[in-house]
Amino acid sequence: MEYNLENKIFFSRLRILQAIILLVIAVFSLRVWQITVARYSYYIEQAERNQLRRIDVFAPRGLITDREGRIMADNVNSFSLLLRRDRAECVECTIEEICRELGFDRDRINAVLEENRQLPAFRPIILVERLTLPQVSWILARYREHPELDITESPQRNYRYNSLASHVIGYVGRISPEELDAPGYDEAKPGHSIGKDGVEKTHNSTLMGKDGVRTVLVDSLGRIQEELAFLQPVKGSDLTLTIDMDLQEVAEKELGDREGAVVALDPRNGEILALASMPGFNPNTFSSGISQEEWSIMIADPAKPLLNRAVGSVYSPGSVFKVILAAGGLETGIIDEKSTVICRGAVNLYGRPFRCTSSHGEVALKEAIRSSCNIYFYLLGQEMGVDLMAEYSHRMGLGEATGIDLPNEVSGLVPTTQWKRETLGEPWYAGETISVAIGQGRINATPLQIARAIGLIATGEATRPHLVLNRPGTAGSSAGEPVNIALENLDLVRQGMWSVVNEWGTGWRAKVEGFDVCGKTGTAQLISRESRESLSDEAKEQFTHNAWFAGFAPLAAPEIVVAVIVQSGGGGGASAAPVAGKIFNTYYRKTRGLQKEQPDESPSAGAGEQS
Amino acid sequence: MMIHKSLRQLDFLLISSALLLLGCGLITAYSLSQGGTGSDLHLKQLARIGIAFLVCLFFLYIDFEILTYYSVVLYGFLLLLLLGVLFFGTEINNSRSWIGIGGFRIQPSEPGKIVLILFLASLLGQVKIEYLRFSKLIQCGLLGMAPVVLILLQGDLGTAVMYAPILAGMLWMSGIRTKVIIIILLCMLLAAPAGWMVLKDYQKLRIKAVFNPDLDPQGIGYQTRQSLIAMGSGGLLGKGIGKGLHAQLGYVPESHTDFVYTLMVEETGFIGGFAVLLLYLILLWRMLEIARNARNRTALLISVGVISFFFSHLVINVGMATGLLPAIGIPLPFLSYGGSSLLASAAALGLILNVNLRRFANT
Repeated sequence: MEYNLENKIFFSRLRILQAIILLVIAVFSLRVWQITVARYSYYIEQAERNQLRRIDVFAPRGLITDREGRIMADNVNSFSLLLRRDRAECVECTIEEICRELGFDRDRINAVLEENRQLPAFRPIILVERLTLPQVSWILARYREHPELDITESPQRNYRYNSLASHVIGYVGRISPEELDAPGYDEAKPGHSIGKDGVEKTHNSTLMGKDGVRTVLVDSLGRIQEELAFLQPVKGSDLTLTIDMDLQEVAEKELGDREGAVVALDPRNGEILALASMPGFNPNTFSSGISQEEWSIMIADPAKPLLNRAVGSVYSPGSVFKVILAAGGLETGIIDEKSTVICRGAVNLYGRPFRCTSSHGEVALKEAIRSSCNIYFYLLGQEMGVDLMAEYSHRMGLGEATGIDLPNEVSGLVPTTQWKRETLGEPWYAGETISVAIGQGRINATPLQIARAIGLIATGEATRPHLVLNRPGTAGSSAGEPVNIALENLDLVRQGMWSVVNEWGTGWRAKVEGFDVCGKTGTAQLISRESRESLSDEAKEQFTHNAWFAGFAPLAAPEIVVAVIVQSGGGGGASAAPVAGKIFNTYYRKTRGLQKEQPDESPSAGAGEQS
Repeated sequence: MMIHKSLRQLDFLLISSALLLLGCGLITAYSLSQGGTGSDLHLKQLARIGIAFLVCLFFLYIDFEILTYYSVVLYGFLLLLLLGVLFFGTEINNSRSWIGIGGFRIQPSEPGKIVLILFLASLLGQVKIEYLRFSKLIQCGLLGMAPVVLILLQGDLGTAVMYAPILAGMLWMSGIRTKVIIIILLCMLLAAPAGWMVLKDYQKLRIKAVFNPDLDPQGIGYQTRQSLIAMGSGGLLGKGIGKGLHAQLGYVPESHTDFVYTLMVEETGFIGGFAVLLLYLILLWRMLEIARNARNRTALLISVGVISFFFSHLVINVGMATGLLPAIGIPLPFLSYGGSSLLASAAALGLILNVNLRRFANT
């Protein structure tokens, strides 16, 4: 177009347009340079973070076997349902649908959701474990409608013997947010199963493997496009326990539905051969994620099935304490083998009558132990005083935790005058000493402590009770330390204990022909004599006493200690001694290569039973 | 007409750059087909290019004076078609802007831009004075806004927005006084709050996201942010054709249409992105030259309309991809996959070549 006045404005404005175009292209070029070159490293990292996803592959836990290699805990593969809330259009609707279609428990799922509210939405939540195959295929078939649902295959703990040895093994459960922050769980991630009780807990780091990681390329919807790398998970180390499942089964069977505990250990090295606490529980219930309801029932149960009575409960030792006191009396020189006391069925001390079970006449130490004469020990205790009794109780390991590799061990109590002054702000009354002398009153101990004390008397050496069998070459920790009591004094006590079982003493029911079982019964009073008066005669025996038996065998070279407590079991000789007798008998027949009394009594291993 | 002889008069630099841009578009379509979308996008696009070539020839062959003369008919037809879409159209991506004709589905608002260029050229081409009269301005403004209102009613803000630069560019070039421009801009500024109220929530958020793409990485800033990540991870030389993972894995939405430039930069890096900008610069530069040499006012206005059409699409599209402007879904001419946009671009190219061909007053 020709340039004229009329068109002047066209040409000037075309030049402006030209300038604008040039400017914009220049700005864009610089901007693209800035993004692609100047900030390259930042964006490349962002791109990888978006596209690469690391998926944890849970490692199976190590096996737990008994001392003979019988598998107590292994793993089964199980399918779990994962929910990724960030992909859900409506979490509520999805939950509603899967509960309706697959029959899941709505409350349980809600509880799981509530528990994981704090997690970022892109972190998958394990909604349901141990899916059935029809459930798995239903979910997989709806992959497109429900991108928020996913299936993962993971190893799940399986306890082959169900409730047998439940308190030793413990159980596993999902790691809680508090545990995640706690020391010792550095390797654990949310959703991980960790040991919550028993050796599963105390040896968690051994049993727990090292998780693998799959590095995958995902698209914007998180669908896996390609696997780039796979770091294989490493299974946890196996654990061989000192437990002998044959003895364990006898112990639990003999306790039956009575509440109580049994500890059997090898006094030469501290290996626990059996540790039972009744009632028990089925740890498989926990592996698959216990519901709130089941948990509440378990917690509210007055029989406290989750309480490990062998280490976590204290009892008055009753007359079992007499053997400890006897050793102390001999060591201090207050009594000797020939010292005697006249028992007329009761004695008045500090203006109050203290009773015996009958009139034993003139008794020396051996007879006092055999017939469990209270009068002998009342007078011995009076002579020694509470603080000296405490001194020897401590030498026998009472009043302090044994250090066994189980959680929640309590240390029991050995009272002293100083203790009472400091804790209760009261002076010690002389009458209390008399009660303590027969294992009543303030003194208390766990069944495991009693077993250990009996082991000390049996061998003269102190060992640390433990549940994991030492591997060859690392036996250092099981060597015993000599206890600070003369061996000949311990031998006198042992003679008395032999007499209890083998010379028609109170523990005759624990006798095993040919095995020289030694022991001591105890019948610990649960309520005061005054309240006892109101009960009927049978009720008196039945409900007011805990029955004890603690012993070892054989006399010449002790190999096994057994401590039994039957709660509300009445007389120790009648209730507890037969349980111990069965265990001694099983052990004897097993170690001496004899046939079992009933050949079909071997522990019945369920074939990987699932709940 | 000496058209066959005068084909030699055509601007081959312009045609080459347009063809190279089409080639880039084909490459990205091919790249996406490699990425496992399962269909051969590049073959489909090649077929469309064939049709587009015929459309281009049509707008080149018929004298622009004749096209302008009949543009009022085309304009009427456009309004009818837009009304038809409004009532019988197909809804895609929340906007009812598609209509089925035979076996095809077309978005009339795209070729409508060409109709607007011709119609405005016919209205303004007759004005013989230096500055535009106010009454003429109002007349052209109202007639130009009519299809825009219909498209807005369809819910397609992106396309409607693209009518404005054509209208503004042609009015400006036909001589609005600078003070009138200032008054109009002031009025628009005052009306802006009202306009803001009309916008839907998601559109407001998109505008906010321009100023802070990291605002909510998973939410509204998502598209822009992912686009930047895709481009940035391409680096200087790019990841290679078919290897633009970020865009292809679906992190960048619409990577074959609205975000085609993102995919281009991710796969071919700064070099490829800069080459595309350079090709556009050549394209627009040659078009400005054609405008300067236009035979008459009508021819010049057609050229300016075509320049506005290409330039505004480039600005909005690349501005969006590089995070400088709000995310408005419009295609990048020649590069984006899709028929309607390609047809409009081909028609626009045909028109300006038409002006180029008939630049001498005596032909």
